[in-house]
Amino acid sequence: MRLSVHTTVLDEDRPLLEVLPASPDALAWVRDGDGLVAWGTAARLDPGPGTDRFARARAAFDTLAADAEVVDEVRRPGTGLVAVASFSFDAGSPGSVVVVPQVVIGRRDGVTWRTEIRGDGAVPPAPPAPPAPPARSPATTPHRDRPRYAGSSLPDVHWLEAVAQAVARIQSGEADKIVLARDHAVWSREPFDPLDLARRLTARFPRCHTFIVDGLVGATPELLLAKRGRSVTSRVLAGTTGRSHDEAEDAALGAALLASDKDLAEHAYAAASVAEVLGPRCTDLQGDAAPRLLRLDNVQHLATTYHGHLDDPTTSVLDVIAALHPTAAVGGTPRDVALQMIAELEGMSRGRYAAPVGWMDAAGDGEWGIALRCAELQGARARLFAGVGVVAASLPEAELEETRLKLRAMQAALDAETTA
Amino acid sequence: MAEQTPDETTLDAPDAALVAAAVDDETAPYDLAGLLAATGASEALLEAVERAGLLVPHHREPDGSPRYGEADADAVRAGLTLLEAGLPLGELLDLARHTDAAIRQVADHAVEAFLRFVRDPVRGTASDDHEAAQRLVTAYEEMLPATERLVAHHLRRRLLHRATERVASELGGAP
Repeated sequence: MRLSVHTTVLDEDRPLLEVLPASPDALAWVRDGDGLVAWGTAARLDPGPGTDRFARARAAFDTLAADAEVVDEVRRPGTGLVAVASFSFDAGSPGSVVVVPQVVIGRRDGVTWRTEIRGDGAVPPAPPAPPAPPARSPATTPHRDRPRYAGSSLPDVHWLEAVAQAVARIQSGEADKIVLARDHAVWSREPFDPLDLARRLTARFPRCHTFIVDGLVGATPELLLAKRGRSVTSRVLAGTTGRSHDEAEDAALGAALLASDKDLAEHAYAAASVAEVLGPRCTDLQGDAAPRLLRLDNVQHLATTYHGHLDDPTTSVLDVIAALHPTAAVGGTPRDVALQMIAELEGMSRGRYAAPVGWMDAAGDGEWGIALRCAELQGARARLFAGVGVVAASLPEAELEETRLKLRAMQAALDAETTA
Repeated sequence: MAEQTPDETTLDAPDAALVAAAVDDETAPYDLAGLLAATGASEALLEAVERAGLLVPHHREPDGSPRYGEADADAVRAGLTLLEAGLPLGELLDLARHTDAAIRQVADHAVEAFLRFVRDPVRGTASDDHEAAQRLVTAYEEMLPATERLVAHHLRRRLLHRATERVASELGGAP
């Protein structure tokens, strides 16, 4: 397939999610109004299951890029040919998807651009570009039904028992840490709107990356990897506490998190799992000496940021993602034992939850996060996820409560009647 | 017969009789393993509920291990019934925490009312300690089940009323 790609400067200063038209194939990766939004499908690559799904995605995208005819008047990471993608958590699961959109609106460093991508007839001709959307999606929607609980893959009482088993196995020395997640199915009388959810999430969590990829919608504070040329950045989050409206209490919660041996241990595993991958690939990997506090709307996390330069300039962002996934923040330590325990204990497929989501361009640059705090939307049905890091000192009922609060926040974000 | 002493922790006869009567008189045949076997609940579940302060033992042995009675087994079975009906455990625990907080206040209030308006008048009018002890224990034995009936009845009535109102309002508001 031969794609023709044209990037031009665009005079547009609205936040990107306001520019994105309501469309069933809407795509987004935005933070603070910057990033990429896109729609239409110029090409859709299915990397299939397998540990080599990242490599197959890269190979297929590289083939498209090699044949593409590109006129790029902006020349920045994210201009020219791009793909937006999300992968399955589990190597054995299908569902990974790589989409090359027809229209991309991007913004970076104060420059906004528009990229048009057209196939050569191998795909159906692109529909005409949608007209400029209204400043806001119509606020005239009358009554919208609320999201309603439909059950979990594993009843939460059995999930609590699974956490207790994990704690016992960790205490017996089988593993150091394991991340256990659970899901929550919801339904509604009307279809869920991905763009509506994304706008709510970005309003509530402005410091997170908000993403929409093929029905997967979420907001993630974690930066798995950003690559620009040889420069790479990764921000690891693990270890969580709540927030308080009372300033002193909020500060005390944060201070307690910074001093919590349980959370520091959980964080150290996650940070080490990233450093172990980036260290050997970088000339000069630097990380924070100690975790810092990252405050979000509803929680505060321990955060460590790494920065370095890749040795090999031909490395694609996907190559590094493939090696990073799954980090200890979503899998556990040691990785293989944790993955085996997750498969035995969790009682569900994670789908694309807790797996890489982001974009890449033809130069191998891109920005990737982990699909946490997300919902998988499919018409009037949705699946929400929440996970926790389990260590030797974990209390199952406290972990259950943490997932309950996370799921409740996500369900509230899905509720059109809730003000964001 | 106990004498009033300067040591306030030593009870006099009427209060000692009251305290003796106020111990739940059922037997406590179960340790935690026995309670598991009697109810079919999992160890992880009961341990979590106990740590959350929502499964209060009948008493503890000198070594600290908890003992449970048939009423505890009934309560656990009731919780399992709610779980089997589909109520998520996380929601049940949350509800139980709210119930516990509300019930503590009600219990404190009820105890205060008993002490001030039943015990104190008895103590002030009884001719001797023996009569006072008898009257207190009798009052307690009548009032406890009456209180339980009153609270259970009111909870049931209130629950059904609220449910009816809620469903009616949903029907009115639905498209």
